[in-house]
Amino acid sequence: MVTTADHGTAIETPKVETWQPRIVAFLCNWCSYTGADLAGISRIQWDPSVSIIRIMCSGRMDPTFVVKAFRLGADGVIISGCHPGDCHYQEGNYKTLRRVHLLRRLLVGFGIDPERLRLVWVSASEGDQWAETANDMAREIRTLGPLRLET
Amino acid sequence: MTTMDEPRIGVYVCHCGFNIAATVDVEAVRDVAAEQPGVVCARDYEFMCSNAGQDLIKRDIEENGVNRVVVAACSPLMHEPTFRAAGEEAGLNPYLVHIANIREQCAWVHEDRVAGTAKAESLVNGAVARVALHEPLEAAHADVNPTTLIVGGGIAGIQAALDISDAGNEVYLVERQSTIGGMMARFDKTFPTLDCAACILTPKMVSADRRENIHLLTESEVESVEGFVGNFKVTVREKARFVTADCTSCGECIKVCPVSVPDPFNQFMSSRTAIHKAFPQAIPSTYTIDRQGKPPCMEACPIHQNAAGYISLIAEGRFSEAARLIRRSNPLPFICGRVCYAPCEEICSRENVEEPVSIRALKRFAMDWERDHEPDAMPEPPEHDYAEKVAVVGSGPAGLTCAFDLATTGYNVTLFEKHDRLGGMLAVGLPSYRCPPWIVERDIDYVRKLGVDMKTGTELGRDFTLGDLTDKTDGFGFSAVFLAIGAHDGIPLGIPNDDAAGVISGIDYLRNINLGLPQETGARVAIVGGGNTAMDAARAARREGAEVTVLYRRTHSEMPAEEDEFEDAVAEGVRFEYLVAPVEVLVSDGRLRGLDCVTMELGEPDASGRPRPVPIPGSNQEREFDTVILSISQRPDTKWYGNGENKTRTLAFSDWGTLEVDAESLRTTLPNVFAGGDAVLGPATVVEAMGQGRRAAEAIDRYIRGRPLDQFSSHMPPADPGRGFEERPFEQSPSYRDIPTAPRAAMPKRPVADRLGDYEEVDLGYSEEDARREAQRCLHCGVCAECRACSEICPPKAVQLDMQDTVTTLDVGQIMVATGFKSFDSHRITQYGYGRYDNVVTSLEFERMLNATGPTGGKVLCKNGDAPRAIGIVHCVGSRDEHYNRYCSRVCCMAALKFAHLAMERTDADVYQFYIDIRAFGKGYEEFYTRVLSEGSTVIRGKVAEVVPALKRNGGGPHLIVRCEDTLIGKYREIPVDMVVLCNALEPQADADEVGRIFSISRSPDGFFMERHPKLDPVGTTTDGVYIAGCSQGPKDIPDTVAQAQASAARVLSLIGRGQVLIDPVRATVNEKLCGGCKTCLSLCPYTAITFDEEGEVAIVNEALCKGCGTCVAACPASAITGAGFTDEQILAELTGLLAPVG
Repeated sequence: MVTTADHGTAIETPKVETWQPRIVAFLCNWCSYTGADLAGISRIQWDPSVSIIRIMCSGRMDPTFVVKAFRLGADGVIISGCHPGDCHYQEGNYKTLRRVHLLRRLLVGFGIDPERLRLVWVSASEGDQWAETANDMAREIRTLGPLRLET
Repeated sequence: MTTMDEPRIGVYVCHCGFNIAATVDVEAVRDVAAEQPGVVCARDYEFMCSNAGQDLIKRDIEENGVNRVVVAACSPLMHEPTFRAAGEEAGLNPYLVHIANIREQCAWVHEDRVAGTAKAESLVNGAVARVALHEPLEAAHADVNPTTLIVGGGIAGIQAALDISDAGNEVYLVERQSTIGGMMARFDKTFPTLDCAACILTPKMVSADRRENIHLLTESEVESVEGFVGNFKVTVREKARFVTADCTSCGECIKVCPVSVPDPFNQFMSSRTAIHKAFPQAIPSTYTIDRQGKPPCMEACPIHQNAAGYISLIAEGRFSEAARLIRRSNPLPFICGRVCYAPCEEICSRENVEEPVSIRALKRFAMDWERDHEPDAMPEPPEHDYAEKVAVVGSGPAGLTCAFDLATTGYNVTLFEKHDRLGGMLAVGLPSYRCPPWIVERDIDYVRKLGVDMKTGTELGRDFTLGDLTDKTDGFGFSAVFLAIGAHDGIPLGIPNDDAAGVISGIDYLRNINLGLPQETGARVAIVGGGNTAMDAARAARREGAEVTVLYRRTHSEMPAEEDEFEDAVAEGVRFEYLVAPVEVLVSDGRLRGLDCVTMELGEPDASGRPRPVPIPGSNQEREFDTVILSISQRPDTKWYGNGENKTRTLAFSDWGTLEVDAESLRTTLPNVFAGGDAVLGPATVVEAMGQGRRAAEAIDRYIRGRPLDQFSSHMPPADPGRGFEERPFEQSPSYRDIPTAPRAAMPKRPVADRLGDYEEVDLGYSEEDARREAQRCLHCGVCAECRACSEICPPKAVQLDMQDTVTTLDVGQIMVATGFKSFDSHRITQYGYGRYDNVVTSLEFERMLNATGPTGGKVLCKNGDAPRAIGIVHCVGSRDEHYNRYCSRVCCMAALKFAHLAMERTDADVYQFYIDIRAFGKGYEEFYTRVLSEGSTVIRGKVAEVVPALKRNGGGPHLIVRCEDTLIGKYREIPVDMVVLCNALEPQADADEVGRIFSISRSPDGFFMERHPKLDPVGTTTDGVYIAGCSQGPKDIPDTVAQAQASAARVLSLIGRGQVLIDPVRATVNEKLCGGCKTCLSLCPYTAITFDEEGEVAIVNEALCKGCGTCVAACPASAITGAGFTDEQILAELTGLLAPVG
């Protein structure tokens, strides 16, 4: 029933108790969330360290959600929206783009590596791109290590 | 309505059979959920979406006081409505139900049961924390407009239109082409029944046309869509057809249209005229004129001469009509046909194939023909009979054109000319071998026929003043004056002794020769300058027997002279020297001895944009000459001005000595005096002067009649006329690469040796065959050449060439998009030889060949007219191919079988099919396959590697060789055939992404429009109220297309039947107490749903317009905007629950 991923490296399943990254992904309803569902329907495997929160549009992303996520223990945050020009609400993704640009600089100020925040565009038919994004981010965060932000 | 009651959360974890339970320990998830704050019960069940599962929820709500529900199951995109409805049935507000996606985004994608279970537990915790903060929301209702918009008039659109109309609803059917019918109209027979496509399609087309409640908008496209389901506002542009509904399809216009272009309906295998009907049964049956903007040649011409029109007529041998068409816009056609510098040729698109069309020479040919066959051409009688008189000073091209136009309008015109010969620069400036006197006389005579009074030997300044012309009491009493006095003063060089005897300006030299006045030409002549006047003077001096050297201060590439003139000058023995300029005229006894010249080098560009010539110091050289002709520029003679003039009448002059006028109206500083031509432009060209004369005539008419002097209809060429041919959409025309080359016809010229003895014409003019052949090189950039033959002949007068596009806004409730497909471009697979070898055709081309109304009348024929002896049909061209499209186009196998059957029926050819798999999946398809096999088609399993032309031995043998593998026998084979049919892929339309954006339809990875769900909702999209059908959703055959169309129609009808839609309550609201009036949110809303209340100084969201994206919610610095259903608190609670440690 399950198919293995046919791209990227093999997913590591630790046998002993090791630190596992916790990554939160905010996905827009119309493109990215649907795309992630498609990955599921197609049984394309991706790293379980990524959990998805659904919002209607990537434009809903308040930068404080990202900071809050890090404070609550997330080691990485993904924001995913529709491709530029294809936003279901016309322009929301452009707003996200510019907020994320600014936010990255602030993260540096907070001592958080801006690589821990990733903004991607995944369309409703791009199930495999979603899986690749999740896997790639998990790999990246494993390399960066836990954030351990003091609350 | 806020509930302050304590949340009592019920959690329901679904096994979904094995779907979830295999990789997630659902009982563990249930147990963890039970421990969470607020949770009063946690259950698990096999299939939560079943009635029994839903009953679990309902019972807990009704009996156990559960007032918030979390269902951990499949994606909310799948069953959120199901569980919300269950909640509602039990009396709970549906928005108090929340779904945790532990299937598509957890169980199905994580093999590791430990990790998957831990993640499912976190997701449920997040959902529980979130739902605790949910508040009841009320969905509003909106009425559904029962009118439907269908985009695409193919079989899908037509079928849906009929179904929706049957139920009594209005339908707008918008189609981009001039007829409905789509691709199906191009087929001959359809598989597997071999029904004739037109026979089953046209009755539906006629039906669609007849129904009162179906409105056809053809040649139309949707420009924008606003609104929401049940309430869309759609802007549609209907392109002008240029033929009204009075058209009776009599076909008289087609007989007279001179323009023939490749016919897109017949896949460019035959031609059709500009005015046409796409095919005989087209609906609407009104003809249409294919007009792709103004041809660039017409745009570039200062008098807007319709070159494409007369060229098309010449190509058909209709010389008399050509001459008449030329005269419609050109009062001096003989002159232009010989001396015009032809800006039209500079922009002619044919240059992209080899060389521009010889437009000027074709005009000359037409006029010379008129001279020989219809010498008594008469101008049209004047439109009005006005009393006013207008004076034109100067009988050059500007003056003559102005006089002609004013006389045609109805004024009494008097032309004043200071010389004894009329014509201005035409008579005194242009030498006779280029501009013979008889053509000047002929054109002037034509102007005279309008009653223009021409007074020669009457000079402004000497015989009358400007004031005399307009003075009503003591003068002539003209209502207006047009000054067209030209630029006849040569500009001196400004070097020492440049007024010595033997030194003369080019313009004076030519005038003396033309007027037969005494003019000495020495043995050694120097011409200073590089323009057309210099060329004219040089060639005239050669005819006077001199040895001529042209001294030009820059290099050849900066010379402004026409290249033709230069080449003729070189042929006639004129010598050219570059980067040399005289600095002093050397005299002895007051007479010219020679020139002191220096060598120049090119420096930085000057005001003209050309490199400035810089003298090299010390490079002086003495040269001996007997005559020096200075042709560096001219300016108007202004000695008459200020000659006893009334000092209150002032004209303005530029630094170069030209008259200053208003750019649009050509009016001088005096309200009733206008000016144009060289007098305003400086030394310019004949046709530019004519353009100004024409504009001045229009301005003078308005001035006299008291109308405003703006928005002129006469033409001033735009800065960039653009090249027209390639701008046509590919479906309408092939590209430059498909045009066979044909060299420009050479102008026969007198042999050089003969030329120098006299001033007879050098260019001899085209023969009839050369002219027709040259005219056929025209690419018809604008297609319609505006010759007006159709509008003149149309019996019901239905042709209306000034029709404009109309833009309308339609209010509709639902939209169906059925925009079809485009064919894969077989040029891309170069090894199949499409476009290079004759007899390699695409499936649509073969269809047209098979069709009785097609280019071969239904016969299958090779390019050379012979019947093919063998035909190879190639499957999967561009489909199932890593390099092009990975998908299968679904219909080609059956189409190939159909082609095989028809080919065997109509020809004696052996038919081969090259396939990978045979897809004969539908009803009757397998049986058809067996039948075709039994009829004798040979099938070879193997991909075709390449198609090559066969070597011809003794003129016989096959045309092509198909090289393929035969996997069933394990061999490489070469199959000789006469014809190859490529079954090419079906692809999404070229503009599918733009169309998708307009209607908010996503696209699948292959580019076709994306259905909401591939199994359960193949005709819906993620945008409510927008449906898709047919090949725009993916390749499919006619039965499936019709099925989808009817499915779409059913969805539309169900929406109409419901009459109302729920408006999603996920929307933004501003808390006015918190709003600080910063207005940040206003500019963020793409739907302009936020307005500012000036009085209260707060922002307000219009609920009807807000779509709930949340962008403003995120942006508000005061957190004053609440996004219902996705509040900050709810999202943060979900985040907290998700990240909390588990277990």
